[in-house]
Amino acid sequence: MKITRKMRGLILLFILPALIIYLVWVIYPIIQAVFMSTLKWETLNTTKFVGLDNYKSVFSNQLFIKSLKNSIIFMVATTVIQIILGFIYGYLVYLQPKGYRIYKVLFFIPTVLPSVAVGFIWCYIYSPGMGVLKPIMEAMGLGQHYMSPLASPALALMAVIVAQIWNQVGIQIILFNSGFMNISNEVIEGARLDGATGFRMLWSMIIPLSWDVVKMVIILQTIGALRAFDLIYVMTGGGPNHSTEVLPVHLFVNAFKEFNMGNANVIAVVILILAMMITVVMRKVMERDSLY
Amino acid sequence: MLKMRKRKEKAGGHYTVKSRTATIIIYTILTIGAVIVLLPLLWLFVTSLKSQSDLATNTWGLPKEWVFSNYIKAWTGSQIPKYMINSIRATVLSIIITVVLVTPVSYVLARFKFRGKGMLYFFFIAGMMIPIHSTVIPIYTMVGKLDAYNNLEVLSMIYGAFRIPISIFILEGFMSSIPKEMEECALIDGCKITGIFFKIILPLSKDGIITIAILTVLSSWNELLVSMLLISDPSKKTLPIGLMGFITEYNSEYTQLAAGIMIAMIPTIIFYAAAQEKIEKGMIAGAIKG
Repeated sequence: MKITRKMRGLILLFILPALIIYLVWVIYPIIQAVFMSTLKWETLNTTKFVGLDNYKSVFSNQLFIKSLKNSIIFMVATTVIQIILGFIYGYLVYLQPKGYRIYKVLFFIPTVLPSVAVGFIWCYIYSPGMGVLKPIMEAMGLGQHYMSPLASPALALMAVIVAQIWNQVGIQIILFNSGFMNISNEVIEGARLDGATGFRMLWSMIIPLSWDVVKMVIILQTIGALRAFDLIYVMTGGGPNHSTEVLPVHLFVNAFKEFNMGNANVIAVVILILAMMITVVMRKVMERDSLY
Repeated sequence: MLKMRKRKEKAGGHYTVKSRTATIIIYTILTIGAVIVLLPLLWLFVTSLKSQSDLATNTWGLPKEWVFSNYIKAWTGSQIPKYMINSIRATVLSIIITVVLVTPVSYVLARFKFRGKGMLYFFFIAGMMIPIHSTVIPIYTMVGKLDAYNNLEVLSMIYGAFRIPISIFILEGFMSSIPKEMEECALIDGCKITGIFFKIILPLSKDGIITIAILTVLSSWNELLVSMLLISDPSKKTLPIGLMGFITEYNSEYTQLAAGIMIAMIPTIIFYAAAQEKIEKGMIAGAIKG
């Protein structure tokens, strides 16, 4: 519909509330964050404009580099494993063996649980006192000096990654499953009539046809992993020795434990830019149209 | 051929794997997955029904006696009921805010032509890329200036604000697919825009609205970071932060903790069981559209 003069006021009324709230609570804060990243707090109440100085000090800070590394490892590990598991299980459920509905519901349950609960459950699993991990390790002959992986700087990140995957993989399973289901029946039947079965069907038909879905899932998952905070914070708070301190946790520590606002906002901006870059770059890289 | 047409199922409508070995492998993999998913939960459940001494001596077996007092203690002795109520308040409020704000805008974006419409749409959608973590510090400062800490209404507004991009994304899509004829008829009948909006568009967009409501529940109910920063008054805490406090408080009483956590998980599981299909549709709408 075209907008007439009479309608203008009404249309404005329809648009403004959302626009205002959005501007005030989303756009303004992010601009503030960028602005605040150029300030140094001399005292609690006075600030000085220092341009890119904060950026220089953050980028040369070992802890920041470490948190960047942690984030990258976290993102890659969770994405790769979740995509693979999500694809496999999404496909198996798509085949609709008897009881597939039950499996579908089950797989998604960990995802709806509060991260505090998930964190607790996994801390518990890892704990030397009551957890199940220790007896399993002992059965494998590795239980000598069992220490919770969460207490070891070398293993903590991996331990958290496992918990995160348990928590989130349900999303990938559901998304892949729907992606597969969206492939038109006729194409599948056509291929089947042509003699494609089992592996062949999977390899030459399903995978190429669901490429769009795969693209989307990878991007979403990567950005989600970039922002992961809740579970990690609850399980380790970033320790031990900063080994699980991914970027959002690093931001939190800088802002609210060390009150280093200028630097913290630099990290905030870094996260924002990374999120935007990943979206743009990954979109371009995966621009291959689905092959049909 | 006719029989196949009658089936409304999409591709994969019936199980077509012929080989028995393959079937066995498939079920094995699926079951392993199910076990990995369920075991931690079952084990939490079992722990919650034991007494402390039972747990110490019989860590992985079934409870010798089913101790329900853990649950009673966890429910009455802690603030968990209060935390749940706060979470419900915040979540419901954020749904209302989101829906009230987003439905009119989506309607305008879906149905009207005007200069700058594309830009406006893009402006809203781009917000999907903004991580809320990047904005917590300014938000924290802003809320401080408004002296609005410990205010569940403000928290809900912030949640609502961040749901705007994706909600517009989904709802605009829904509304675009409503046939134009309906509006044209209404206009001819002398209906004004508000009338069309309330009588035609809203009812027809019910599915879309439910979708964004569900997505809002999923993101608000378990939200930790912002609520942790903005709320320190124990009587206003939402479930995630409250749970954290509960865990530190009952530090070594694992059986209590287990009971408390089970209680906290039950609303989510019930909600999920009830809305499970809609949740699935909602997630797909959020992720795959466009």
